[in-house]
Amino acid sequence: MNGEVSLSCRDLERYLGKEEERVHALRGVSLDIEAGSLHAVVGPSGCGKSTLLYILGLLDQPDAGSIIIASENVSDLPDQEWSRRRNELIGFIFQFHFLMEDFTAEENVMMPMRRLGHLSESEMRDRAAALLHDVDLGDKLRRESRHLSGGEQQRVAIARALANDPQVILADEPTGNLDTRNSERAFALLADLVRQRGKALLLVTHNRFIADACDWVHEMQDGRIIGSHPRGQRGSITTNV
Amino acid sequence: MTAPLYIALRFATHRKRALLLSLVGVVFGVAIFICTQAQTQGFAQYFINSTIGSSGAMVLRTKFQPRYEGLAVAAKNTTGATNRRNYFEGVSNVSEIMRVSRQFSNVVACAPVLRGNVSARAGFENASVEIYGIDPASQLKATDLATQIIAGKFDDFSNNTSAVIIGYKLADFLNVGAGDAIQILSPGGEYWRFTVAAIARSGVGTVDLNRVYAHARVAQRLLKKPYQASMIIYKLRNPSRAPELANHFEELFQHRTESWQEREEGNLQIFFTLQVSAAITVSLIILLAGFGIFNVLTMSVLSKVREIAILRSMGYRRIDISSIFLWQGALIAGVGSLLGCILGAVLTWGISKVPIHIRGLLYTNHFLVVWDWRHYFWATLLAVVAVFIASYVPSQRAAHLQPVDTLRGSSL
Repeated sequence: MNGEVSLSCRDLERYLGKEEERVHALRGVSLDIEAGSLHAVVGPSGCGKSTLLYILGLLDQPDAGSIIIASENVSDLPDQEWSRRRNELIGFIFQFHFLMEDFTAEENVMMPMRRLGHLSESEMRDRAAALLHDVDLGDKLRRESRHLSGGEQQRVAIARALANDPQVILADEPTGNLDTRNSERAFALLADLVRQRGKALLLVTHNRFIADACDWVHEMQDGRIIGSHPRGQRGSITTNV
Repeated sequence: MTAPLYIALRFATHRKRALLLSLVGVVFGVAIFICTQAQTQGFAQYFINSTIGSSGAMVLRTKFQPRYEGLAVAAKNTTGATNRRNYFEGVSNVSEIMRVSRQFSNVVACAPVLRGNVSARAGFENASVEIYGIDPASQLKATDLATQIIAGKFDDFSNNTSAVIIGYKLADFLNVGAGDAIQILSPGGEYWRFTVAAIARSGVGTVDLNRVYAHARVAQRLLKKPYQASMIIYKLRNPSRAPELANHFEELFQHRTESWQEREEGNLQIFFTLQVSAAITVSLIILLAGFGIFNVLTMSVLSKVREIAILRSMGYRRIDISSIFLWQGALIAGVGSLLGCILGAVLTWGISKVPIHIRGLLYTNHFLVVWDWRHYFWATLLAVVAVFIASYVPSQRAAHLQPVDTLRGSSL
């Protein structure tokens, strides 16, 4: 890997559950994600993919290890600072779209901008319209999100993830709830936007074709990354453990 | 507009039925609070105005001297000096006391009164009455007697020393009207004949049933009193400060001095009790509204768990999340209080028009209300506090939801 590292983690440890149900979900995971690159995390269900994603997205606290975003170690910052960095530096895309149902597509995209508070109302509208135009939803700005199709909702989620021009985009099975045609379309769109805008993308997926289209594929098993492969070299394992 | 306020408005307006239910509770709580306070205080205020208007805000009577008791030791829990006094009937140095009294800024006017108990007769009816020997000019300044006349003329009384003014209930009892004659039995056993020049209605039942106003000099001869006045009635600029002035005058003039608050303590306690009782009852309504809001907002939090997780993932802080629900509470409290105040004013106006026939402690033909901004203030404050408490718990619950639990539950 070369280029500027947007997100990295070192020796992440995470236990989930209590007492007898306690599970060692992450076991010393380390990763580097560069700007303008697409990384996929693959592995069987329950191997710790989503846990890793939420920890890297500052939504969950690791039991040990460090997280570095934009050259800053953010592991020990308070919750308020984590919220600020999530708002400024990270964009999330979830499997089930997770749009605000009572709000229009445009309002959903404006939601992170409202928290950031850098733009006026009209500037936020213009930016939301431009982002929705980029994901081919320029004609559905005022439509309530519940009245959009699954593929359209996922494209709104992609536009929303880019709302505050974050350095890192984290996607948890972004195409997991879409049919093949919509999956390919959503991923192609996401990949183009990430590459064009120099973002770093880390996505968790079960979809082999999507994983193969990423610059790096990280295989996880039992809370460990057992191998990381650059595109086209799946099979030549670079161990990160 | 801040992001939490914007989201709160959208959340609230998307749950119209829940919002409406919460609003109804606050609106009615505030309105009924205002309305009941206006009524209970309305009757109390009428009574206070009537008693001050007829008997003064403060009364100075009975001269006293400290009693010196050598080695006597005051018993525990006694007021000491008050119990060691010798009282002398009547007011001494009336003119001097009145002259000095007028120097006080709170004193508007004062009038000497010679008071005594006699018996009045008209036809076959007899009644024990309280005769007030007054100086008409001074009495007009110190009381509302002129405005209390409902039959006859005050001038007919002023210009005729053998005329009297009697309370309307007494007139009814003796079956006399203005221009008729009554007889008053002096302590010496003689009947004195007077003309009823006017009939007065103070609004206070006991005054209207017992009082007879006569000229001071005539009353002095009738009662065979050696002194000019048995009391001095005061009209004060600020009647609420009567107790302080009464204490001061008692020290200054060495005469027992009583404020209207002390004089009417029993009745005032009844009114106060009624007012507090009404306030407690209505506060319970507002409290119930608070429970309703608590339920509505708790349900709102539960139904918005997904949205809360999304907002947190977008970088909304815990305080932003709690603010969203506190703003919803503030919206309910603000709009509910405003509408409640308007409804309270309309209800108060409507109730003031309801006919009611009261002829006991008070005289009134319709419900008495008082318009006081403090009722609106307290009702609003109570609603705001109740709604804040009701919103705080759900807002904290929302703020402490772990977004990862929601996201994990939906994605694994």
